[in-house]
Amino acid sequence: MPKTVIQIEGLTKIYKGELGQKPVIGIEALDLDVREGEVFAFLGPNGAGKTTTIKLMTRLLFPTKGNILIMGLPLTSRDAMRRVGYLPEQPNLYGYLTGGEFLDFIARIFDLPSDRRKRRIPEVLGLVGLSDQAGRAIRTFSRGMMQRLGLAQALINDPDLLILDEPMSALDPIGRKDFRDIILGLKKAGKTLFFSSHILSDAELVADRIGILKKGRLVQTGRLDDLMGSRTGTIEVTFIPNKGRPSKSALQSYDFETQGRKILVRLEREDDLPSLLRGITRAGAKLVSVIPQRKSLEDIFMAEIGR
Amino acid sequence: MRLWAVASNTFKETIRNRVLVNILLFAIALILISLVVGEWSLGHQSKVIKDFGLAAMSLFGLLIAIFIGIRLMVQEMEQRTVYLILSKPIRRWEFVLGKYLGLACTLALNVLLMSVTLWAVVLVQEGRIDFGLAPAILLIYMEIGLIVAFALLFSTFTSPTLSALFTLIIFVIGHTTSFLRDFILLYPDKPLLWLFKAIYTVMPNLENLNIKMAAVQHLATPPHAVLFGFLYGLGYIAFVLILTVMVFEKKDLK
Repeated sequence: MPKTVIQIEGLTKIYKGELGQKPVIGIEALDLDVREGEVFAFLGPNGAGKTTTIKLMTRLLFPTKGNILIMGLPLTSRDAMRRVGYLPEQPNLYGYLTGGEFLDFIARIFDLPSDRRKRRIPEVLGLVGLSDQAGRAIRTFSRGMMQRLGLAQALINDPDLLILDEPMSALDPIGRKDFRDIILGLKKAGKTLFFSSHILSDAELVADRIGILKKGRLVQTGRLDDLMGSRTGTIEVTFIPNKGRPSKSALQSYDFETQGRKILVRLEREDDLPSLLRGITRAGAKLVSVIPQRKSLEDIFMAEIGR
Repeated sequence: MRLWAVASNTFKETIRNRVLVNILLFAIALILISLVVGEWSLGHQSKVIKDFGLAAMSLFGLLIAIFIGIRLMVQEMEQRTVYLILSKPIRRWEFVLGKYLGLACTLALNVLLMSVTLWAVVLVQEGRIDFGLAPAILLIYMEIGLIVAFALLFSTFTSPTLSALFTLIIFVIGHTTSFLRDFILLYPDKPLLWLFKAIYTVMPNLENLNIKMAAVQHLATPPHAVLFGFLYGLGYIAFVLILTVMVFEKKDLK
Protein backbone atom coordinates (compact mmCIF):
# COMPACT_ATOMS: atom_id res chain seq x y z
CA MET A 1 0.00 0.00 0.00
CA PRO A 2 1.41 3.42 -0.90
CA LYS A 3 2.65 5.56 1.97
CA THR A 4 0.53 8.37 3.34
CA VAL A 5 2.05 11.69 2.28
CA ILE A 6 -0.53 14.06 3.75
CA GLN A 7 -2.43 13.09 6.87
CA ILE A 8 -4.95 15.58 8.21
CA GLU A 9 -6.95 14.84 11.35
CA GLY A 10 -9.74 16.95 12.80
CA LEU A 11 -8.38 20.13 11.27
CA THR A 12 -10.33 23.20 12.29
CA LYS A 13 -9.57 26.85 11.69
CA ILE A 14 -11.78 29.54 13.13
CA TYR A 15 -10.88 33.13 12.31
CA LYS A 16 -11.49 35.53 15.13
CA GLY A 17 -14.03 38.16 14.24
CA GLU A 18 -12.65 41.67 14.03
CA LEU A 19 -14.21 44.56 15.92
CA GLY A 20 -17.33 42.87 17.23
CA GLN A 21 -17.87 40.66 14.20
CA LYS A 22 -18.67 36.99 14.66
CA PRO A 23 -15.91 34.42 14.31
CA VAL A 24 -15.74 32.86 10.86
CA ILE A 25 -15.22 29.15 10.28
CA GLY A 26 -12.47 28.64 7.72
CA ILE A 27 -12.39 24.87 7.89
CA GLU A 28 -14.11 22.46 10.26
CA ALA A 29 -13.13 18.97 11.43
CA LEU A 30 -11.31 18.05 8.23
CA ASP A 31 -9.99 14.49 7.98
CA LEU A 32 -8.05 13.67 4.86
CA ASP A 33 -5.32 11.32 3.63
CA VAL A 34 -3.37 11.70 0.41
CA ARG A 35 -1.18 8.81 -0.65
CA GLU A 36 2.15 8.69 -2.42
CA GLY A 37 1.97 9.21 -6.18
CA GLU A 38 -1.62 10.47 -6.10
CA VAL A 39 -2.97 13.58 -7.79
CA PHE A 40 -5.57 14.95 -5.41
CA ALA A 41 -7.89 17.77 -6.48
CA PHE A 42 -9.39 19.86 -3.73
CA LEU A 43 -12.56 21.38 -5.10
CA GLY A 44 -15.10 23.84 -3.86
CA PRO A 45 -16.63 27.23 -4.59
CA ASN A 46 -14.93 30.44 -3.49
CA GLY A 47 -14.83 30.73 0.28
CA ALA A 48 -15.24 26.97 0.83
CA GLY A 49 -11.95 26.71 2.72
CA LYS A 50 -9.54 25.44 0.06
CA THR A 51 -6.91 28.16 0.50
CA THR A 52 -7.32 28.06 4.29
CA THR A 53 -6.50 24.34 4.26
CA ILE A 54 -3.49 24.88 2.02
CA LYS A 55 -2.22 27.72 4.20
CA LEU A 56 -2.57 25.49 7.24
CA MET A 57 -0.57 22.81 5.41
CA THR A 58 2.19 25.30 4.65
CA ARG A 59 2.40 26.86 8.15
CA LEU A 60 1.10 30.24 7.00
CA LEU A 61 -1.89 29.84 9.32
CA PHE A 62 -2.07 28.13 12.69
CA PRO A 63 -4.90 25.62 13.29
CA THR A 64 -7.49 26.18 16.00
CA LYS A 65 -7.65 22.40 16.41
CA GLY A 66 -6.37 19.31 14.68
CA ASN A 67 -3.19 17.97 13.28
CA ILE A 68 -1.34 17.76 9.96
CA LEU A 69 1.49 15.38 9.17
CA ILE A 70 3.53 15.57 5.99
CA MET A 71 5.30 12.29 5.22
CA GLY A 72 4.72 11.33 8.81
CA LEU A 73 6.45 14.46 10.11
CA PRO A 74 4.91 17.45 11.87
CA LEU A 75 4.88 20.75 10.00
CA THR A 76 7.45 22.18 12.39
CA SER A 77 9.96 19.71 10.96
CA ARG A 78 12.37 21.32 8.53
CA ASP A 79 12.84 17.92 6.89
CA ALA A 80 9.15 17.79 6.01
CA MET A 81 9.21 21.27 4.46
CA ARG A 82 12.33 20.48 2.46
CA ARG A 83 10.33 17.86 0.57
CA VAL A 84 7.40 20.15 -0.26
CA GLY A 85 6.96 22.55 -3.16
CA TYR A 86 4.21 25.17 -2.88
CA LEU A 87 2.67 27.55 -5.37
CA PRO A 88 0.27 30.13 -3.87
CA GLU A 89 -2.72 31.41 -5.78
CA GLN A 90 -1.72 34.01 -8.37
CA PRO A 91 1.69 34.70 -6.87
CA ASN A 92 3.31 38.09 -7.15
CA LEU A 93 7.01 37.45 -7.31
CA TYR A 94 9.82 39.90 -6.55
CA GLY A 95 9.56 42.29 -9.51
CA TYR A 96 13.02 43.78 -8.96
CA LEU A 97 14.72 40.41 -9.52
CA THR A 98 15.29 38.55 -12.75
CA GLY A 99 13.81 35.07 -13.15
CA GLY A 100 17.23 33.50 -12.55
CA GLU A 101 17.98 35.64 -9.48
CA PHE A 102 14.60 34.76 -8.00
CA LEU A 103 15.12 31.02 -8.41
CA ASP A 104 18.63 31.32 -6.99
CA PHE A 105 17.17 33.07 -3.92
CA ILE A 106 14.58 30.33 -3.41
CA ALA A 107 17.21 27.62 -3.92
CA ARG A 108 19.38 29.25 -1.24
CA ILE A 109 16.47 29.08 1.20
CA PHE A 110 16.49 25.33 0.58
CA ASP A 111 20.24 25.35 1.33
CA LEU A 112 21.05 23.99 -2.12
CA PRO A 113 24.79 24.23 -2.72
CA SER A 114 26.04 26.54 -5.46
CA ASP A 115 26.85 23.82 -8.04
CA ARG A 116 23.43 22.23 -7.61
CA ARG A 117 21.73 25.61 -7.94
CA LYS A 118 23.57 26.23 -11.21
CA ARG A 119 22.33 22.90 -12.59
CA ARG A 120 18.82 23.02 -11.20
CA ILE A 121 17.79 26.57 -12.23
CA PRO A 122 18.07 25.98 -16.02
CA GLU A 123 16.39 22.58 -15.53
CA VAL A 124 13.24 23.97 -13.91
CA LEU A 125 13.13 26.98 -16.23
CA GLY A 126 13.17 24.52 -19.13
CA LEU A 127 10.45 22.43 -17.54
CA VAL A 128 8.06 25.38 -17.33
CA GLY A 129 8.98 26.77 -20.73
CA LEU A 130 10.93 29.83 -19.58
CA SER A 131 14.45 28.75 -20.62
CA ASP A 132 15.19 32.00 -22.40
CA GLN A 133 13.77 34.27 -19.69
CA ALA A 134 16.34 33.74 -16.91
CA GLY A 135 17.84 37.21 -17.34
CA ARG A 136 14.59 39.10 -17.72
CA ALA A 137 13.21 41.28 -14.90
CA ILE A 138 10.14 39.68 -13.34
CA ARG A 139 8.25 42.99 -13.36
CA THR A 140 8.07 42.68 -17.16
CA PHE A 141 6.55 39.16 -17.01
CA SER A 142 2.96 38.51 -18.09
CA ARG A 143 0.57 36.89 -15.60
CA GLY A 144 1.01 33.53 -17.35
CA MET A 145 4.81 33.77 -17.23
CA MET A 146 4.60 34.69 -13.55
CA GLN A 147 2.53 31.56 -12.92
CA ARG A 148 5.09 29.43 -14.75
CA LEU A 149 7.94 30.97 -12.76
CA GLY A 150 5.88 30.33 -9.64
CA LEU A 151 5.73 26.66 -10.57
CA ALA A 152 9.47 26.68 -11.29
CA GLN A 153 10.20 27.90 -7.74
CA ALA A 154 7.90 25.19 -6.36
CA LEU A 155 9.98 22.59 -8.22
CA ILE A 156 13.44 23.98 -7.42
CA ASN A 157 14.01 21.53 -4.54
CA ASP A 158 12.76 18.54 -6.57
CA PRO A 159 9.94 18.04 -4.02
CA ASP A 160 8.15 14.75 -3.34
CA LEU A 161 4.93 16.64 -2.64
CA LEU A 162 3.63 19.59 -4.62
CA ILE A 163 0.89 21.79 -3.19
CA LEU A 164 -0.64 24.09 -5.77
CA ASP A 165 -3.34 26.63 -4.97
CA GLU A 166 -5.53 27.31 -8.02
CA PRO A 167 -2.59 26.71 -10.35
CA MET A 168 -4.52 27.13 -13.58
CA SER A 169 -6.90 29.96 -12.79
CA ALA A 170 -4.75 32.74 -14.27
CA LEU A 171 -3.79 30.89 -17.44
CA ASP A 172 -5.09 31.06 -20.99
CA PRO A 173 -6.21 27.79 -22.67
CA ILE A 174 -2.72 27.07 -24.04
CA GLY A 175 -1.14 27.80 -20.69
CA ARG A 176 -3.64 25.51 -18.98
CA LYS A 177 -2.89 22.71 -21.41
CA ASP A 178 0.86 23.16 -20.80
CA PHE A 179 0.28 23.20 -17.05
CA ARG A 180 -1.82 20.02 -17.21
CA ASP A 181 0.94 18.33 -19.21
CA ILE A 182 3.51 19.39 -16.61
CA ILE A 183 1.30 18.01 -13.82
CA LEU A 184 0.85 14.73 -15.67
CA GLY A 185 4.61 14.58 -16.24
CA LEU A 186 5.24 15.08 -12.53
CA LYS A 187 2.68 12.40 -11.72
CA LYS A 188 4.51 10.05 -14.07
CA ALA A 189 7.72 10.86 -12.23
CA GLY A 190 6.07 9.58 -9.03
CA LYS A 191 5.38 12.94 -7.36
CA THR A 192 2.37 13.45 -5.15
CA LEU A 193 0.25 16.43 -6.11
CA PHE A 194 -2.37 18.25 -4.10
CA PHE A 195 -4.07 21.09 -5.89
CA SER A 196 -7.10 23.25 -5.35
CA SER A 197 -9.24 24.34 -8.24
CA HIS A 198 -12.60 25.61 -9.24
CA ILE A 199 -11.96 24.71 -12.88
CA LEU A 200 -13.60 21.29 -12.87
CA SER A 201 -12.62 20.28 -16.40
CA ASP A 202 -8.92 20.60 -15.51
CA ALA A 203 -9.38 18.63 -12.32
CA GLU A 204 -11.26 15.91 -14.21
CA LEU A 205 -8.39 15.54 -16.65
CA VAL A 206 -5.55 15.15 -14.16
CA ALA A 207 -6.89 14.08 -10.76
CA ASP A 208 -6.95 10.55 -9.35
CA ARG A 209 -8.96 11.53 -6.32
CA ILE A 210 -11.02 14.52 -5.39
CA GLY A 211 -12.37 16.12 -2.27
CA ILE A 212 -15.26 18.58 -2.40
CA LEU A 213 -15.48 21.29 0.22
CA LYS A 214 -18.57 23.23 1.11
CA LYS A 215 -18.62 25.96 3.73
CA GLY A 216 -15.52 24.60 5.44
CA ARG A 217 -16.65 20.97 5.49
CA LEU A 218 -15.54 18.09 3.33
CA VAL A 219 -18.76 16.82 1.78
CA GLN A 220 -17.39 14.30 -0.69
CA THR A 221 -14.14 12.48 -1.25
CA GLY A 222 -13.13 9.51 -3.33
CA ARG A 223 -11.52 8.22 -6.49
CA LEU A 224 -12.79 10.11 -9.49
CA ASP A 225 -13.46 6.86 -11.39
CA ASP A 226 -15.50 5.44 -8.52
CA LEU A 227 -17.50 8.61 -8.02
CA MET A 228 -18.33 8.98 -11.68
CA GLY A 229 -18.78 5.19 -12.22
CA SER A 230 -21.15 4.77 -9.32
CA ARG A 231 -23.40 7.45 -10.67
CA THR A 232 -24.18 6.20 -14.17
CA GLY A 233 -26.90 8.46 -15.49
CA THR A 234 -29.24 8.01 -18.40
CA ILE A 235 -28.64 5.88 -21.50
CA GLU A 236 -29.34 7.62 -24.79
CA VAL A 237 -30.52 5.35 -27.64
CA THR A 238 -30.79 6.84 -31.14
CA PHE A 239 -32.37 5.07 -34.13
CA ILE A 240 -33.94 5.77 -37.55
CA PRO A 241 -37.49 4.32 -37.73
CA ASN A 242 -38.42 1.92 -40.54
CA LYS A 243 -41.47 3.39 -42.31
CA GLY A 244 -42.72 4.93 -39.11
CA ARG A 245 -42.04 1.83 -36.98
CA PRO A 246 -41.77 1.48 -34.12
CA SER A 247 -44.62 3.96 -33.90
CA LYS A 248 -44.62 6.87 -31.52
CA SER A 249 -47.50 5.32 -29.65
CA ALA A 250 -45.30 2.27 -29.02
CA LEU A 251 -42.73 4.59 -27.44
CA GLN A 252 -45.23 6.29 -25.12
CA SER A 253 -43.74 4.66 -22.04
CA TYR A 254 -40.28 6.17 -22.82
CA ASP A 255 -38.83 9.69 -22.63
CA PHE A 256 -38.10 10.40 -26.30
CA GLU A 257 -37.76 13.20 -28.83
CA THR A 258 -37.67 13.40 -32.61
CA GLN A 259 -34.49 14.82 -34.11
CA GLY A 260 -35.14 15.14 -37.85
CA ARG A 261 -35.30 11.56 -39.18
CA LYS A 262 -33.93 10.18 -35.94
CA ILE A 263 -35.59 9.40 -32.64
CA LEU A 264 -33.66 9.76 -29.38
CA VAL A 265 -34.83 7.77 -26.38
CA ARG A 266 -33.54 8.47 -22.88
CA LEU A 267 -33.60 5.51 -20.53
CA GLU A 268 -33.38 6.18 -16.84
CA ARG A 269 -32.95 2.47 -16.02
CA GLU A 270 -30.40 0.19 -17.64
CA ASP A 271 -32.93 -2.70 -17.26
CA ASP A 272 -35.17 -1.13 -19.92
CA LEU A 273 -32.45 -1.34 -22.60
CA PRO A 274 -32.92 -5.00 -23.79
CA SER A 275 -36.65 -4.63 -24.42
CA LEU A 276 -36.18 -1.32 -26.28
CA LEU A 277 -33.44 -2.82 -28.47
CA ARG A 278 -35.68 -5.87 -29.21
CA GLY A 279 -38.51 -3.53 -30.27
CA ILE A 280 -36.17 -1.53 -32.55
CA THR A 281 -34.83 -4.73 -34.18
CA ARG A 282 -38.31 -6.25 -34.65
CA ALA A 283 -39.51 -3.06 -36.39
CA GLY A 284 -36.53 -3.26 -38.76
CA ALA A 285 -35.41 0.23 -37.63
CA LYS A 286 -31.74 1.25 -37.95
CA LEU A 287 -29.92 1.59 -34.65
CA VAL A 288 -27.57 4.62 -34.72
CA SER A 289 -26.07 4.71 -31.22
CA VAL A 290 -26.38 3.57 -27.60
CA ILE A 291 -24.53 5.98 -25.31
CA PRO A 292 -24.50 5.57 -21.53
CA GLN A 293 -24.36 9.08 -20.12
CA ARG A 294 -21.70 9.15 -17.36
CA LYS A 295 -22.02 11.84 -14.81
CA SER A 296 -19.33 14.46 -15.23
CA LEU A 297 -17.35 15.90 -12.37
CA GLU A 298 -19.48 18.98 -12.80
CA ASP A 299 -22.64 16.92 -12.14
CA ILE A 300 -21.10 15.49 -8.97
CA PHE A 301 -19.88 18.89 -7.89
CA MET A 302 -23.20 20.60 -8.49
CA ALA A 303 -25.07 17.82 -6.73
CA GLU A 304 -22.87 18.21 -3.62
CA ILE A 305 -22.69 21.98 -3.57
CA GLY A 306 -26.34 22.48 -4.44
CA ARG A 307 -27.58 20.26 -1.61
CA MET B 1 22.54 30.59 4.79
CA ARG B 2 18.75 31.05 4.78
CA LEU B 3 19.04 34.20 6.88
CA TRP B 4 21.73 35.57 4.55
CA ALA B 5 19.67 34.63 1.52
CA VAL B 6 16.82 36.80 2.84
CA ALA B 7 19.29 39.54 3.86
CA SER B 8 20.96 39.68 0.45
CA ASN B 9 17.58 39.67 -1.29
CA THR B 10 16.41 42.54 0.92
CA PHE B 11 19.65 44.38 0.16
CA LYS B 12 18.93 44.03 -3.56
CA GLU B 13 15.31 45.07 -3.00
CA THR B 14 16.23 48.25 -1.14
CA ILE B 15 19.21 49.16 -3.30
CA ARG B 16 17.00 48.92 -6.40
CA ASN B 17 14.26 50.97 -4.76
CA ARG B 18 13.81 54.34 -6.43
CA VAL B 19 12.41 55.88 -3.26
CA LEU B 20 15.65 55.10 -1.47
CA VAL B 21 17.74 56.60 -4.26
CA ASN B 22 15.61 59.74 -4.17
CA ILE B 23 15.91 60.09 -0.40
CA LEU B 24 19.65 59.55 -0.63
CA LEU B 25 20.00 62.18 -3.36
CA PHE B 26 17.92 64.54 -1.25
CA ALA B 27 20.18 63.95 1.77
CA ILE B 28 23.34 64.42 -0.29
CA ALA B 29 21.87 67.58 -1.81
CA LEU B 30 21.16 68.87 1.71
CA ILE B 31 24.77 68.22 2.70
CA LEU B 32 26.01 70.04 -0.40
CA ILE B 33 23.64 72.94 0.26
CA SER B 34 25.30 73.24 3.66
CA LEU B 35 28.27 74.77 1.77
CA VAL B 36 26.06 77.68 0.75
CA VAL B 37 24.38 77.94 4.16
CA GLY B 38 27.85 77.89 5.74
CA GLU B 39 28.83 80.93 3.69
CA TRP B 40 26.05 82.95 5.34
CA SER B 41 27.27 82.27 8.84
CA LEU B 42 30.34 84.40 9.22
CA GLY B 43 33.16 82.66 11.02
CA HIS B 44 31.19 79.50 11.72
CA GLN B 45 31.09 77.96 8.27
CA SER B 46 32.63 74.64 9.26
CA LYS B 47 30.42 74.18 12.27
CA VAL B 48 27.27 74.99 10.32
CA ILE B 49 28.27 72.61 7.53
CA LYS B 50 28.90 69.76 9.97
CA ASP B 51 25.75 70.53 11.92
CA PHE B 52 23.72 70.64 8.76
CA GLY B 53 25.33 67.49 7.37
CA LEU B 54 24.79 65.41 10.50
CA ALA B 55 21.21 66.62 10.81
CA ALA B 56 20.61 65.63 7.19
CA MET B 57 21.81 62.13 8.03
CA SER B 58 19.40 61.86 10.95
CA LEU B 59 16.55 63.10 8.80
CA PHE B 60 17.55 60.59 6.15
CA GLY B 61 17.22 57.84 8.74
CA LEU B 62 13.72 58.87 9.73
CA LEU B 63 12.58 59.07 6.11
CA ILE B 64 14.11 55.69 5.33
CA ALA B 65 12.39 54.13 8.35
CA ILE B 66 9.03 55.50 7.26
CA PHE B 67 9.25 54.98 3.53
CA ILE B 68 11.37 51.82 3.27
CA GLY B 69 11.34 50.09 6.69
CA ILE B 70 7.57 49.97 6.94
CA ARG B 71 7.06 48.99 3.31
CA LEU B 72 9.58 46.19 3.70
CA MET B 73 7.20 43.91 5.56
CA VAL B 74 3.91 45.34 4.31
CA GLN B 75 4.91 44.79 0.70
CA GLU B 76 5.82 41.16 1.41
CA MET B 77 2.31 40.60 2.75
CA GLU B 78 0.44 42.64 0.15
CA GLN B 79 2.31 41.02 -2.72
CA ARG B 80 1.98 37.61 -1.02
CA THR B 81 5.68 36.91 -1.57
CA VAL B 82 5.87 36.13 2.14
CA TYR B 83 3.68 33.05 1.48
CA LEU B 84 6.27 31.69 -0.90
CA ILE B 85 9.15 32.20 1.47
CA LEU B 86 7.60 31.09 4.76
CA SER B 87 6.25 27.86 3.26
CA LYS B 88 9.89 26.86 2.71
CA PRO B 89 12.17 25.39 5.38
CA ILE B 90 12.90 28.75 6.95
CA ARG B 91 11.95 29.92 10.44
CA ARG B 92 10.05 33.12 10.85
CA TRP B 93 12.79 34.60 13.03
CA GLU B 94 15.27 33.97 10.22
CA PHE B 95 12.99 35.86 7.86
CA VAL B 96 12.57 38.84 10.20
CA LEU B 97 16.28 39.07 11.01
CA GLY B 98 17.18 38.58 7.35
CA LYS B 99 14.92 41.44 6.33
CA TYR B 100 16.40 43.65 9.03
CA LEU B 101 20.01 42.81 8.27
CA GLY B 102 19.48 43.39 4.55
CA LEU B 103 18.12 46.85 5.23
CA ALA B 104 20.85 47.52 7.80
CA CYS B 105 23.46 46.79 5.09
CA THR B 106 21.74 49.18 2.69
CA LEU B 107 21.62 51.82 5.42
CA ALA B 108 25.32 51.32 6.17
CA LEU B 109 26.16 51.86 2.52
CA ASN B 110 24.02 54.98 2.38
CA VAL B 111 25.39 56.44 5.59
CA LEU B 112 28.87 55.79 4.22
CA LEU B 113 28.01 57.63 0.99
CA MET B 114 26.63 60.58 2.96
CA SER B 115 29.65 60.57 5.26
CA VAL B 116 32.04 60.68 2.31
CA THR B 117 30.02 63.58 0.88
CA LEU B 118 30.13 65.42 4.21
CA TRP B 119 33.85 64.79 4.61
CA ALA B 120 34.45 66.05 1.06
CA VAL B 121 32.48 69.22 1.80
CA VAL B 122 34.41 69.73 5.04
CA LEU B 123 37.67 69.10 3.12
CA VAL B 124 36.75 71.88 0.69
CA GLN B 125 35.98 74.18 3.61
CA GLU B 126 38.72 73.32 6.10
CA GLY B 127 41.34 71.78 3.87
CA ARG B 128 41.34 68.63 6.01
CA ILE B 129 39.18 65.61 6.64
CA ASP B 130 37.56 65.79 10.05
CA PHE B 131 37.60 62.22 11.31
CA GLY B 132 36.34 63.54 14.64
CA LEU B 133 32.86 63.26 13.11
CA ALA B 134 33.15 59.46 12.88
CA PRO B 135 31.83 58.60 16.41
CA ALA B 136 28.82 60.88 15.84
CA ILE B 137 28.15 59.22 12.48
CA LEU B 138 28.43 55.77 14.06
CA LEU B 139 25.79 56.69 16.64
CA ILE B 140 23.56 58.26 13.96
CA TYR B 141 23.73 54.91 12.21
CA MET B 142 22.70 53.17 15.44
CA GLU B 143 19.80 55.59 15.79
CA ILE B 144 18.62 54.93 12.24
CA GLY B 145 18.96 51.19 12.91
CA LEU B 146 16.80 51.52 16.02
CA ILE B 147 14.10 53.58 14.30
CA VAL B 148 14.00 51.07 11.44
CA ALA B 149 13.65 48.22 13.95
CA PHE B 150 10.63 49.98 15.45
CA ALA B 151 9.19 50.53 11.97
CA LEU B 152 9.57 46.81 11.27
CA LEU B 153 7.89 45.94 14.58
CA PHE B 154 4.88 48.19 13.98
CA SER B 155 4.46 47.02 10.40
CA THR B 156 4.03 43.40 11.56
CA PHE B 157 0.78 44.11 13.36
CA THR B 158 -0.71 47.36 12.14
CA SER B 159 -1.45 49.33 8.98
CA PRO B 160 1.28 51.24 7.13
CA THR B 161 -0.23 54.60 8.12
CA LEU B 162 -0.38 53.74 11.81
CA SER B 163 3.11 52.22 11.61
CA ALA B 164 4.44 55.49 10.19
CA LEU B 165 2.66 57.46 12.90
CA PHE B 166 3.95 55.22 15.71
CA THR B 167 7.48 55.35 14.31
CA LEU B 168 7.33 59.12 14.17
CA ILE B 169 6.07 59.20 17.77
CA ILE B 170 8.98 56.99 18.88
CA PHE B 171 11.39 59.35 17.11
CA VAL B 172 9.92 62.45 18.73
CA ILE B 173 9.58 60.93 22.22
CA GLY B 174 13.03 59.37 21.89
CA HIS B 175 14.52 62.83 21.49
CA THR B 176 12.51 64.41 24.28
CA THR B 177 12.74 61.87 27.11
CA SER B 178 15.12 64.17 28.96
CA PHE B 179 12.27 66.70 29.20
CA LEU B 180 10.08 63.94 30.59
CA ARG B 181 12.70 63.14 33.20
CA ASP B 182 12.95 66.81 34.17
CA PHE B 183 9.15 67.00 34.38
CA ILE B 184 9.02 63.95 36.66
CA LEU B 185 11.71 65.43 38.92
CA LEU B 186 10.17 68.90 39.03
CA TYR B 187 6.56 67.87 39.57
CA PRO B 188 6.56 64.67 41.61
CA ASP B 189 2.94 65.25 42.78
CA LYS B 190 1.26 65.78 39.40
CA PRO B 191 -1.51 63.37 38.35
CA LEU B 192 -0.68 60.82 35.68
CA LEU B 193 2.94 60.88 36.81
CA TRP B 194 2.97 57.09 36.60
CA LEU B 195 2.21 57.38 32.89
CA PHE B 196 5.14 59.72 32.31
CA LYS B 197 7.37 57.44 34.37
CA ALA B 198 6.26 54.43 32.32
CA ILE B 199 6.91 56.26 29.04
CA TYR B 200 10.29 57.42 30.30
CA THR B 201 11.23 53.89 31.35
CA VAL B 202 10.07 52.07 28.21
CA MET B 203 10.81 54.53 25.43
CA PRO B 204 14.30 54.68 23.98
CA ASN B 205 16.36 57.71 24.89
CA LEU B 206 17.71 58.66 21.50
CA GLU B 207 19.76 61.44 23.09
CA ASN B 208 22.09 58.66 24.30
CA LEU B 209 22.96 58.30 20.61
CA ASN B 210 23.33 62.00 19.98
CA ILE B 211 26.85 63.35 20.24
CA LYS B 212 26.55 65.58 17.20
CA MET B 213 27.04 68.78 19.18
CA ALA B 214 30.25 67.59 20.79
CA ALA B 215 31.60 66.32 17.47
CA VAL B 216 30.84 69.59 15.70
CA GLN B 217 32.24 71.73 18.53
CA HIS B 218 35.37 69.55 18.70
CA LEU B 219 34.59 68.84 22.32
CA ALA B 220 36.22 65.70 23.54
CA THR B 221 33.64 62.91 23.79
CA PRO B 222 34.84 60.35 26.29
CA PRO B 223 35.29 56.96 24.59
CA HIS B 224 33.04 55.34 27.16
CA ALA B 225 30.17 57.64 26.10
CA VAL B 226 30.52 56.47 22.52
CA LEU B 227 30.79 52.86 23.66
CA PHE B 228 27.76 53.30 25.92
CA GLY B 229 25.75 54.81 23.08
CA PHE B 230 26.79 52.02 20.75
CA LEU B 231 25.89 49.26 23.23
CA TYR B 232 22.67 51.05 24.22
CA GLY B 233 21.63 51.21 20.57
CA LEU B 234 22.62 47.62 19.93
CA GLY B 235 20.79 46.36 23.03
CA TYR B 236 17.66 48.29 22.20
CA ILE B 237 17.70 47.08 18.58
CA ALA B 238 18.02 43.49 19.83
CA PHE B 239 15.11 44.05 22.23
CA VAL B 240 12.84 45.50 19.50
CA LEU B 241 13.79 42.73 17.07
CA ILE B 242 12.97 40.07 19.68
CA LEU B 243 9.55 41.71 20.13
CA THR B 244 9.09 41.76 16.35
CA VAL B 245 9.93 38.06 16.11
CA MET B 246 7.53 37.25 18.97
CA VAL B 247 4.68 39.10 17.23
CA PHE B 248 5.49 37.66 13.80
CA GLU B 249 5.87 34.07 15.07
CA LYS B 250 2.20 34.04 16.12
CA LYS B 251 0.82 35.91 13.15
CA ASP B 252 -1.70 34.21 10.87
CA LEU B 253 -0.85 35.13 7.30
CA LYS B 254 -4.40 35.31 5.97
